[in-house]
Amino acid sequence: MAIVELENVRKVYTLGKTEVHALRGVSFSIEKGDFASIVGPSGSGKSTILNLIGCIDQPTAGTVSINGTITEGLKDRALTDLRHKTVGFIFQSFNLIPVLNVYENIEFPLLLGKNRVNKKEMREWIEFLIEAVGLADHMRHKSNELSGGQRQRVAIARALVTKPEIVLADEPTANLDSKTGQSIIELMKKMNAELNTTFIFSTHDTTIMSIADHVIRLLDGLVVEDTKAAAAAGGLS
Amino acid sequence: MFTLKVAFRNISRQKKRSFLLAGAIAFGMLVITIINALTGGLVANIRENFSHALGGHVFITGREFNERGQIISKIRPDVRMDQLLEDNAGRIQAFTKRSQALPSLIFGSKQTMQLVYGVDFHEEDKLLGSLAVLKGSLAEVLTDEHAVILPQPAANRLGVDVGETILVKLETLTGQQNVGELRVVAFVEDQEQFGLSAAYVSRSYLNTLIGLGPEEYQMLNMFVTDLAFVEDFTRAFREGLLTPEEQQEEEEPTVSVTVGGVPIDPTPRQETITRWEGTRYRVMNINQIMEPVELMVGVLNRVGLVIFIILLLVTMVGITNTFRMILLERTREIGTMRAFGMHQKQVQHIFLWEAVLLGLTGCVAGLALSGLLIAVVGRWPLNVDPSLHFFLNHGRITFSLSAGSIVLNTALVVLTSLVAAYWPSRAAAKLSPIKALSSHT
Repeated sequence: MAIVELENVRKVYTLGKTEVHALRGVSFSIEKGDFASIVGPSGSGKSTILNLIGCIDQPTAGTVSINGTITEGLKDRALTDLRHKTVGFIFQSFNLIPVLNVYENIEFPLLLGKNRVNKKEMREWIEFLIEAVGLADHMRHKSNELSGGQRQRVAIARALVTKPEIVLADEPTANLDSKTGQSIIELMKKMNAELNTTFIFSTHDTTIMSIADHVIRLLDGLVVEDTKAAAAAGGLS
Repeated sequence: MFTLKVAFRNISRQKKRSFLLAGAIAFGMLVITIINALTGGLVANIRENFSHALGGHVFITGREFNERGQIISKIRPDVRMDQLLEDNAGRIQAFTKRSQALPSLIFGSKQTMQLVYGVDFHEEDKLLGSLAVLKGSLAEVLTDEHAVILPQPAANRLGVDVGETILVKLETLTGQQNVGELRVVAFVEDQEQFGLSAAYVSRSYLNTLIGLGPEEYQMLNMFVTDLAFVEDFTRAFREGLLTPEEQQEEEEPTVSVTVGGVPIDPTPRQETITRWEGTRYRVMNINQIMEPVELMVGVLNRVGLVIFIILLLVTMVGITNTFRMILLERTREIGTMRAFGMHQKQVQHIFLWEAVLLGLTGCVAGLALSGLLIAVVGRWPLNVDPSLHFFLNHGRITFSLSAGSIVLNTALVVLTSLVAAYWPSRAAAKLSPIKALSSHT
């Protein structure tokens, strides 16, 4: 079942009097539980695609469908709710809230929703995630007391806390050394396997790409390779 | 509650900046609190000192026609008065009966007109306690029937000294001239600025001079136990002392013709006083006398409020600019929160909560500083010009602040902070998540 579907998506940015065509008609789909990697050189449109899937941007043309909901025409409130229920984010520069500690940073997406969460269950779930990302000893630390790798682990736990269908990670290892980056990707893969959450991440790193079970390669705003689509086509032929 | 928690943490993020902003608010709060407390204490002191100088909170005078058809001030023994005093005994702390005259005081070749109260010094210990003695002693008034306490300016005009004897020349209630002798026992601070430049003599002696009987007097002054009920108390005496004729006059309907809402009177009325029998009473209280003072204090409070509002407006500009800066500093953070599902309103609430918390912190600090200042200033008696003693309580500045004015000023501060933070908070809420996340701050 496709959890993300992009159909002939175009995105044009206006920079002064210049139009920048970030996406020139992109179509692909990602299945639930995929560990998908979007790869390509700088300016190929990786981040734009993640922004569209994350409902923080809208396409100029084409349709984006997230978990069966077409994002086109949705108001800010509806998009915000869709993000909250369906998507978790992992950013390249971690983006932790500096005034909150590890536990609170992971907790905060749960406090934004309308639904009341059982406090005991919530605490157990957060503690489980903290344990899973290996930060049990740093639960009350603020972000400025953590290393880059530890911060990204917090970001992974935060992205998973609302039990989203999709976790988007925009170059999650770019600000980390290769060893730490590797461990972060392994952690993401582990969570993908354990929680059956779809992970979609952009990267330049070929070693990280190799762990992905679905690779979408972009060049100049177009999909030049889609491993699953190719496999499916090969299977059909 | 999450937005409140984040706002609370954000306040402590830039400690110096928060301290300066809250400090500015605290200064404004300090100014308005001190002004309010000072004027509140001033009114209470003036009221208290007036009561002592006038000999009460409620004042009753009596008028009647004498044999020559003139209206004279006189209260005779009256069963209605006695009954009212008995019925209201629980609400009366003390009462005094005074006479008064406006005689010429003469010493050698000099003379001056001076208001003189005839008081029973044995009953009026409150009066003796409130007078600021500049020379002489008040003890002799209890033993010497001819003793007089003079205000300093009157003594200066006469060139008299303590211990010397002056002549008093006055008109009796029947219009005859009379002369007596008074011995100066003390000079006291004048309260002329309040229209209270009075000398004090024994009532029994003044009664003899003006032609009143020993049981008669001209003013009944009463101290009430609770000033909050002074109006009720006054009304009870006013109604209780009305003669049947006065009641009838009050009940007569007045016919008025209006044209376009403006009353017109085709036959201009001539004010005529019809002669009445017996005594008619006039009952006043301290509130009526305090009206001009309260008016002055009201103006002072309004000036304070204007200063406070100007300070708040300056602070408001500071808050707005600070929140604009905060918006720039936290753009990416706002983007992150929006990405995780924070609604625009919630972003706005964080900013507004910060403004409320800043305002409240400033208010609490301002109130605490005011309390400290009040405690320090109010502790020591001041060595000021004696003419200022009327504003003080036993030489000390006193402060009185109502909970209502604290709540009002705090509400004003919080409201100003909210207004100041509103536009930056709105701009923060309207930030697009994608633009906020791609920000470098």
